[in-house]
Amino acid sequence: MRHEARSPRGQEALQHYATAVGAMKDRHPEDPTSWAYQAAIHGTESNPLSLQKQCEHESWFFFPWHRIYLYYFEQIVRKAVVDGGGPGDWTLPYWNYDIDGAHASLPQPFYDPADESNPLYVGNRNRRYNEGKPLPPLLQVEAEALALREFIGNAMFGGGNRSPHRPRFWGQMGLPERSPHGTVHVEIGGLMENPEKAAQDPIFWLHHANIDRIWATWNEREGKPNPTESGWLDHRFEFFDASGTKASLSCGEVNATHLLGYTYDPLPAGGNVEEVTPPPPPPPPPPPPPGTPSEPKFVGASEEPVSLTGEPTEVPVEIDPRAREEVLEAADPEDPRHLYLNVEEIRGEKNPGRVYAMYLNLPREPSSSDYDSHHIGNLAFFGIERTTDPDADEAPHGMRFSVEVGDVVRALHDEADWDREGLRVCFRPVVPEESEGGERSDRYEGEHEPVEIGRVSLSIDA
Amino acid sequence: MAVLRAIGRRPTLWVELTVAAAWLALLLGEGIARGYGGAVVAGSWQSGPLWICTTGLGAIGHGASHGAGAAPSASAPLLAGTPMWGLMALAMMVPTAMPAVGHVAGKSLYWRRRRAAAEFLAVFLGLWTAFGLLVLGPLASWGPARAGFALPIALAAAAMWQLTPLKLRALRACHRSRPLPPRGWRATRGVADFARHNGTACLASCWAMMAATAVSGPGRLLWMGALTGVMTVEKLSDRPRTASRRGAAVLAAAAAGVAAAVLLPQ
Repeated sequence: MRHEARSPRGQEALQHYATAVGAMKDRHPEDPTSWAYQAAIHGTESNPLSLQKQCEHESWFFFPWHRIYLYYFEQIVRKAVVDGGGPGDWTLPYWNYDIDGAHASLPQPFYDPADESNPLYVGNRNRRYNEGKPLPPLLQVEAEALALREFIGNAMFGGGNRSPHRPRFWGQMGLPERSPHGTVHVEIGGLMENPEKAAQDPIFWLHHANIDRIWATWNEREGKPNPTESGWLDHRFEFFDASGTKASLSCGEVNATHLLGYTYDPLPAGGNVEEVTPPPPPPPPPPPPPGTPSEPKFVGASEEPVSLTGEPTEVPVEIDPRAREEVLEAADPEDPRHLYLNVEEIRGEKNPGRVYAMYLNLPREPSSSDYDSHHIGNLAFFGIERTTDPDADEAPHGMRFSVEVGDVVRALHDEADWDREGLRVCFRPVVPEESEGGERSDRYEGEHEPVEIGRVSLSIDA
Repeated sequence: MAVLRAIGRRPTLWVELTVAAAWLALLLGEGIARGYGGAVVAGSWQSGPLWICTTGLGAIGHGASHGAGAAPSASAPLLAGTPMWGLMALAMMVPTAMPAVGHVAGKSLYWRRRRAAAEFLAVFLGLWTAFGLLVLGPLASWGPARAGFALPIALAAAAMWQLTPLKLRALRACHRSRPLPPRGWRATRGVADFARHNGTACLASCWAMMAATAVSGPGRLLWMGALTGVMTVEKLSDRPRTASRRGAAVLAAAAAGVAAAVLLPQ
């Protein structure tokens, strides 16, 4: 069982983790079980060695690839733990930043002591997190991820179908990959905000264990199924096991954590980290009806690209006159259709290291409750460098995010705050609130490298 | 009704059906050309649609050697070859561009999805047809007459082109999309700009393989099918460098095979 990093078992696991990370950092970088090699399997800026620079993002392989990655990594660390005199049943702890404010800060062993004697310390993280301050509450979005109905789709849980016969012109990122996954990467900053270096930060592995836990929870507690397509089930990924030998697993073989011999300690809401007996999983829902889904129906879009440079930015989206009634119909909870806001063709040469919150029709002078009721999601640009990297063996493509907005549109309409001719999408940088007398980091001030948003559109999916 | 519903659900279905029809026309034309032994009287076909893939293609493919005087050889008016090169571009290049067609159809306001796809195809096919008239036409009338060496040379050249940085840059550019304005003349101009960029990148990426098709002579339909497969696979792959290298290996093997067949004693 994998334990939350602040639980007693989790804290014990962290001590052994620190020792093992130190041992792995001492190994030769060309040893597949070394820290450097394992990190480079996710990404590297050097010439990749065997199986390096393989991370899967922006598709339905995001969750299974990272589950397999963690599984073999855990075996390698466990062997190092045992070699160092630790327990043979060691498991990778996870960092659940969603429980409450206290848990939203980095576990203390990652920044204390703050020097090179600590194998878990990384100096170039966003300073506030190496000072033990919490992530902004806006980034606690696990409930939104768990509420998603289906695995496959841009705005769904697991991302879009990326079978070889389904070419893509844009990324197909699932919602949890965008947030909390991407937003936490970017907010922690330093190594974590660049996919070529992220796995060098020891917190990477606990962050991804938490993402893996969210997937397991979505499956088990929420009773929601994974893809049944052979293009997903049979797709295999190759890694190195604890002996440094190549080994592989298919997505179908990691469909559930018990297939790999582990579970997560279930945590009730409110931050009680005492272990409790997990509830029985609900029966699986009926399979979706057969048939080809319709193409999304675009009913409105912005006219001009905009650049985000660190300032709040608003984008008007005119709704096509022929579709204004249909938009409201699709926003009705009883209607089977769904209304999506799409942020398309996102390009930039460098991750600005800032997280943006997106709001729909935010008033000109918003109150604090307006920020809650108009919030539709968060935006981070983890991996944006790869979309234009001329040296990468990856087709260049703009990033794209979609978010379901039916509930917000309906609420705005009910409050007579809806303009049927169009909507305004506001992008505002997320800035953590400081305690009294606290010093705000320069990171949140001033302009950053521009990120271009090609278009913001509104679509209806059947 | 079921067909109409399917068309409604898939705004690019009409494009896919048109490509299938183009291949059918090429197959029928080849069959008819063989049935007539390639010696078709020009006047009897020039006004009919099958001319474009029988007499026209045959005359260009075989140059003056058949002597049928059938159609747009090098001495014929330039525009006479337009339907044939348009048909070839439709059959061979549009399958490679289906993600781009899907992009403009899928990202346009719902009532102009098919129109946007048609606007894209008009520009995209226009570029390829012009290239066919100006470059492939003269090649086609020259190549097959050169004792069978034209094809292995063209295939070897295409294999080498696959490995150049320019080819990789062009192939990567084929994957780039552009934001499309939603309505009015700006929407039309946006689609046309995207089609121009995509078509130019496609030309730069695939010209060498199309040149090999042009000089393939007898058996050209098989070469057209095979090279369409290679171009489609590499353009649909999301690993352009890997796909381009694999394409180079296939082309080099094909060049070696054809050269061996030409050189070895019968």
